[in-house]
Amino acid sequence: MVPPKPVPKTKPRRGIFHAFKGNLEALMIGVKYFIDPKRFTLIYPKEYNKLREGYRGFIVLIKQKCINCASCARICPAAAMKMIRIPEVDEKTGKQKVKNWPVIDYRRCIFCGYCVDVCPTEALYHVPYHDVVYQNMAEMYLDLESFQKPPEYKAAEEGIPVRYIVDEERGLVKVPYKEGEK
Amino acid sequence: MDVIDVIVKIITWPPLWQLVVLGLVAPLGVVVGILWFERKTAARVQRRFGPLHVSPRIGGAIQLIADLMRYAFQEIIIPKTVDKGVFLIAPLTALVLSIVPVVAVPFTSVSHYWPIPMEYSVLISLALSTISAIFIVLAGWASNNKFSIIGGMREAYMITAYELMIILAILSVSAMTTSYNFVDVVLAQTGGKWFIILNPLAFLAAFISVLMATSGFPFEIPESENEVVAGPFTEYSGLLYGVNMGAAYIKRFVYSIFITLAFLGGWLPYGPGDGFISGYLIPSLVIIVKATILMAVFSFLRAVYGRYRLDQALDFAWKLLFPLALMGFGLGLLEAYIGLIG
Repeated sequence: MVPPKPVPKTKPRRGIFHAFKGNLEALMIGVKYFIDPKRFTLIYPKEYNKLREGYRGFIVLIKQKCINCASCARICPAAAMKMIRIPEVDEKTGKQKVKNWPVIDYRRCIFCGYCVDVCPTEALYHVPYHDVVYQNMAEMYLDLESFQKPPEYKAAEEGIPVRYIVDEERGLVKVPYKEGEK
Repeated sequence: MDVIDVIVKIITWPPLWQLVVLGLVAPLGVVVGILWFERKTAARVQRRFGPLHVSPRIGGAIQLIADLMRYAFQEIIIPKTVDKGVFLIAPLTALVLSIVPVVAVPFTSVSHYWPIPMEYSVLISLALSTISAIFIVLAGWASNNKFSIIGGMREAYMITAYELMIILAILSVSAMTTSYNFVDVVLAQTGGKWFIILNPLAFLAAFISVLMATSGFPFEIPESENEVVAGPFTEYSGLLYGVNMGAAYIKRFVYSIFITLAFLGGWLPYGPGDGFISGYLIPSLVIIVKATILMAVFSFLRAVYGRYRLDQALDFAWKLLFPLALMGFGLGLLEAYIGLIG
């Protein structure tokens, strides 16, 4: 079989009339967008992006499910998940013993979600938001208590939820979030 | 005579009215609106909102007032290395000289309300409008800063690009009417025969060269933010920077008035009558409205265009704009020869 002939690249057309036409087209596009602006800016404190389920946001621990296996700490690529030793009393025998519990350091976390994936008992889960504010760097190293409750989501208290959808004609479009939508 | 009568008489004295009210107050009012329009338009076309948070209900319209106040109350810092006298004088002189051409322009056909005799007003106003650019170069030189000097030199190069074309393009209306009088030029356009329709080539040349002269967007070369910080105005701060920017916009407004008179029919379709209001106020309002629309078109281009390099702009000016201006001049002569202009 004969290979297809190489098509020579067409040179960009130059000339006054071509340039004039190009300028006119650019202006027409400008006018088109001026009449019908397809804008999608998130006016942040008044609106917030309601992210979908499965979004890899902040991570929360369910302590009852945790079996202290330390898989999450081992798989963490950024060494953000750490096991800390907490002494406690065993309920059955009444003996003193030390257990390892996972805590997270958000100064290091890259939100890859490996810890959630690897957890054998699904004791870790993501919350679908990431805009959380801490007062200082030390606060971002959570202890076991604060790791168990979802972080405070201030934007949801003040703003209205919106969603972004991809429209074939208009591109990215901002639509108000309907209750119960996944 | 009453005190109020005296004050009214002083304010409506044509030279003062034209210099202070039409040359300074009206442009500044227009500029506040136009700057807001410019930012909102660019935002609309580029799918953003633009200024919004200062007053969300009216679309951030008082954002510019806030900016103005910020400039007004900012400390004016004069660096040690600058040439102090020239550094201070240059922007103020540029401001004054960019207002001065207004006084050589008729805002009405009633000769009682002309500040100066108008026989050679086209020539005088064009000549006056070309002086202020040298003070921008001077401001860049006095700042003694590499960005300022590069910006000033760019401005100097751009003067060679636009100055001849702007004069040639506007003088083509003199070729059409065989008169250097702006009043004759405007009166020749009665009956809908605006020179933008009769001579679109000259209008286009004038439009583009005014864009070059006032660093409008495809030619925003002397003050391009991401190459030379603010060009000749890098070292200026506070109110002096505001004066610089104001001078640039007043210059654009004055050129818009020229184009309005030369190509867009001046105070037509309104015919000035007797008395101050009918003979002076309404015609000048018509001209200001037309000039404002023209300025809005100028600022709309910001949303669409990028920026030419300096060599590209000079290339464009001498290879395309100069022939265009000459063609406009020739077309004007031809139309005058075959008697198209009454």
